[in-house]
Amino acid sequence: MSGNLSALGVIAQIAFRNLFASRLKTIIVGGIIFFGAFLVVVGTSFLDSIDQGMSRSITGSVAGHIQVYSSQSKDELAVMGGFDMEGANLAQLDDFTKLRDTILSVPNVKAVVPMGINGALVTSGNSIDVALAGLRDLARKKVAGTATAADVAAYQASKGHLRQILTVLQGDIKNLGQLHDERTLSADDAAAVTRAASEDFWRHFDQDPMDGLEFLENRIAPQATDADMLFLRYVGTDPESFAQSFDRMRIVDGTTIPRGKRGFLFAKFTYEDQVKLKTARRLDKIKQARDDRGVKIAKDSELQRFVKENSNQVREILLQLDAPKTDLFRQKLQAKLSSRETDVAKLLSELFRTDDQNFDDRYRFFYDELAPSLQLYRVRIGDNLTIKAFTRSGYVQSVNLPVYGTFNFSGLEKSPQAGALSLMDMVSFRELYGFLTADREKEILALKAAMNAKDVSRENAEAELFGTKPPEAEAPARPVPSSRMVPTGRTVVAEATPGVHQAESVGAEGFGARMVREDLTKRIYDPAQLQSGVVLNAAVILKDPRKISQSINDIEAAGRKAGLPLKAITWQKASGLIGQFVTMMRAVLYTAVLIIFVVALVIINNALVMATLERVRELGTLRAIGAQRRFILAMLVIEALVVGLIFGAAGAGVGAALVTVIGKVGIPAKNDIFYFFFSGPRLHPAIATNNLVGALAIVMLVSGLSGLYPAWLAMRVTPRQAMQSED
Amino acid sequence: MKIIVSVKNVTKDYALGKVTVPALRGVSLDVEEGEFLSIAGPSGSGKTTLLNLIGCVDTPTSGTVAVAGKDTRSLSERALTELRLNTIGFIFQSFNLVSVLSVFQNVELPLLLQRKLPKPERRSRVMALLERVGLGDHASHRPSELSGGQRQRVAIARALVTRPQLVLADEPTANLDSVTGQNILDVMKELNRTERTTFIFSTHDAKVMANATTVVRLADGKLVDRLTGPEAVAASVSRPVPVVGAVRESTK
Repeated sequence: MSGNLSALGVIAQIAFRNLFASRLKTIIVGGIIFFGAFLVVVGTSFLDSIDQGMSRSITGSVAGHIQVYSSQSKDELAVMGGFDMEGANLAQLDDFTKLRDTILSVPNVKAVVPMGINGALVTSGNSIDVALAGLRDLARKKVAGTATAADVAAYQASKGHLRQILTVLQGDIKNLGQLHDERTLSADDAAAVTRAASEDFWRHFDQDPMDGLEFLENRIAPQATDADMLFLRYVGTDPESFAQSFDRMRIVDGTTIPRGKRGFLFAKFTYEDQVKLKTARRLDKIKQARDDRGVKIAKDSELQRFVKENSNQVREILLQLDAPKTDLFRQKLQAKLSSRETDVAKLLSELFRTDDQNFDDRYRFFYDELAPSLQLYRVRIGDNLTIKAFTRSGYVQSVNLPVYGTFNFSGLEKSPQAGALSLMDMVSFRELYGFLTADREKEILALKAAMNAKDVSRENAEAELFGTKPPEAEAPARPVPSSRMVPTGRTVVAEATPGVHQAESVGAEGFGARMVREDLTKRIYDPAQLQSGVVLNAAVILKDPRKISQSINDIEAAGRKAGLPLKAITWQKASGLIGQFVTMMRAVLYTAVLIIFVVALVIINNALVMATLERVRELGTLRAIGAQRRFILAMLVIEALVVGLIFGAAGAGVGAALVTVIGKVGIPAKNDIFYFFFSGPRLHPAIATNNLVGALAIVMLVSGLSGLYPAWLAMRVTPRQAMQSED
Repeated sequence: MKIIVSVKNVTKDYALGKVTVPALRGVSLDVEEGEFLSIAGPSGSGKTTLLNLIGCVDTPTSGTVAVAGKDTRSLSERALTELRLNTIGFIFQSFNLVSVLSVFQNVELPLLLQRKLPKPERRSRVMALLERVGLGDHASHRPSELSGGQRQRVAIARALVTRPQLVLADEPTANLDSVTGQNILDVMKELNRTERTTFIFSTHDAKVMANATTVVRLADGKLVDRLTGPEAVAASVSRPVPVVGAVRESTK
């Protein structure tokens, strides 16, 4: 026994000393192994950390751990992917209550949140529309004789604002004339603007404001081109259980949608990025880049572009200014810029032509002095938002929703991915998606009643229409059975003719809709009704997220048992390309590691073969004096393992140390996308045992493999080769 | 006297490319225990081949080689290695010490391979042998720190440490000057006398041959003669080995 140990000892000793004796070989081989282990440790721990960060981001924002949808769907569910307007084509899941109970029967499920994801276009209205709407209200009061002194003052101010806008438009026309642009205004439009801007027009305006407004609305408003289409992606859900299940959700402005009410919550990121006054948004972005990332305007082309755009595009602000505000701005800007310029447009342009020295000062000036007089957001908290969406059957459906506030997910404030989905109540979602909701149903009934319409079947159409049979006793149409959700597209609804429909104008609004419109947003819905309806998908929150694949099987099995065609997918899958990002990165890393190790294998193998050939005589001697082949093999294997272990451990150790140091400091998220991947402003990579074990295992495997051929060569050395003389 | 090595009608052919080169063409030889035998002959006469066959590092093409009563052709590779380890000691022309081990470790190595003796006994045996070859105070040196003669004495100690019945030495003094060479031969002779260890060494040097009790002369793969005692001494001095056929080489 002691002989055995001593033999091993001498083998180890020979191995160790040989390593020292051939330092160059050891350093080359060891260096490669060191680098390989280092790379594996750092690479995998980074990816693991990003994986965890993204997992937190995605599971914590919208996806949950598992997404469930109908297995009869034509498309795959993509919660975060699908940046096109068409959402995935999903089959509906009829009864959420049943769905929820089925899924909740799986022990590992903590919560189920109903969902539907869709996108819609929203017209935010332009400055003239907003100004005209205000003026119309005031004019109506004035005509009716109910206007107070304050109203009269407001009326005058409002008129002033409109005249200011007309001045801007006149300037536009002049510019276009000079440019000979394709978009050159027609002579009619130009004449209309000239007329509206004339003193004569406004003298007559007071006598018949409604007539004047009519002209402004029809001829002038369409000419203002500052109206933007907003494309919103939203998730229809139960706001309450959404907030409970995704506990990183925070209300930023306003309040959440009150229980049982209809409403809309903007994702804060979308709200800032798309709804905010563009000038202000660009200022914010410059400030953020400067403060958070230390970027200089002088050195960054993107910031330079922002500055240029702000300086060139002051029209959006000008259109908001009425006469008093124009004067106020002129005064403030002249003082601020110590300028004698009287053109506010030029003053604003000058203000926004910022550099690294004056940026902070002017940023504060804008927000402290100018912003209070401006409408910073095109849609304000408390406004009603008209959302138009294409239903599945191709109709344009529109819903008016009060905006209650904005929300974000803590840690993901700056992520466009997590901030891309706004939120609305499930009832509105169903309506926009084209499901027949109880409200719609009622509206249709009211319509039918009002028009004396009734269902006519093909078979007895003649009889029904021409009265060969006695008419039925009662006018009200047969109610549509509420248990069956019939897509609107298949129901006879007069107002829903595609193309004609214009939600903005009252004239084209459905009669029934008008009847129920007023109370819709105020109505409080029975939670049971919210729960029982149609959903497209559902987010599942697990108690133990590690058992995700087991839970997926359980959910699908429970679905089969309950007769629900359920398909459950992981958050990675549900989040589309983004979720696959880590998998892709991992593939890239592993490919790189593989290539490095293949190269390492060749180099190490070569080095060891050389070393073996150099040692033929020594090996032959050992064989001659009685060493068995396995002794030679053991010697070489131990040599390879020692190199692998020492350098591999060193590489892994240095890698781990680096990751730990970086983990303490954190890697700042360079831009918004990294916020999402890092699940916060900084990535704090951490070393896990499996990173180290994995790296060492790979390194040992590689050094073991690369020692195979040299070991085979060494074992074939005969004792006779010991006899050969040195030359 | 006990026969320790018995070579009977041995031929050995080597394949050199497509040509078969006969190295030994029917050699028979018995070696008795305690002999101090020299195999002499010019280069290419088959000395090393014969020594390799006796040393179990090679097997004959035909004929038999028996070492310590065992026919080497019937033994497996492992058994041959065992035989080398336990029965034979080797001394090489270029010493062949393991350069990364100390003098002590080099000598101890065969004992470790044997796995028979506990550490204290190994130590005492190694040290005793090193004293015998006059290197007791060099135990912890590395081979590179020693002179050629010292290295060969370490090699002798290593060859003898397992107390083999037979020690084979292939041109043990070829890489040494004549004084040192004689010194080495004296050590070997001393051990042959006190331990009764059989020594077989090859040489083409007449002065070296003169130390042998028996001289076996080879030429062109054949045994020329086997001389013992004074005859051997005389032969080594006066009678040159006949050169046969194309093999012409001057002795160094």
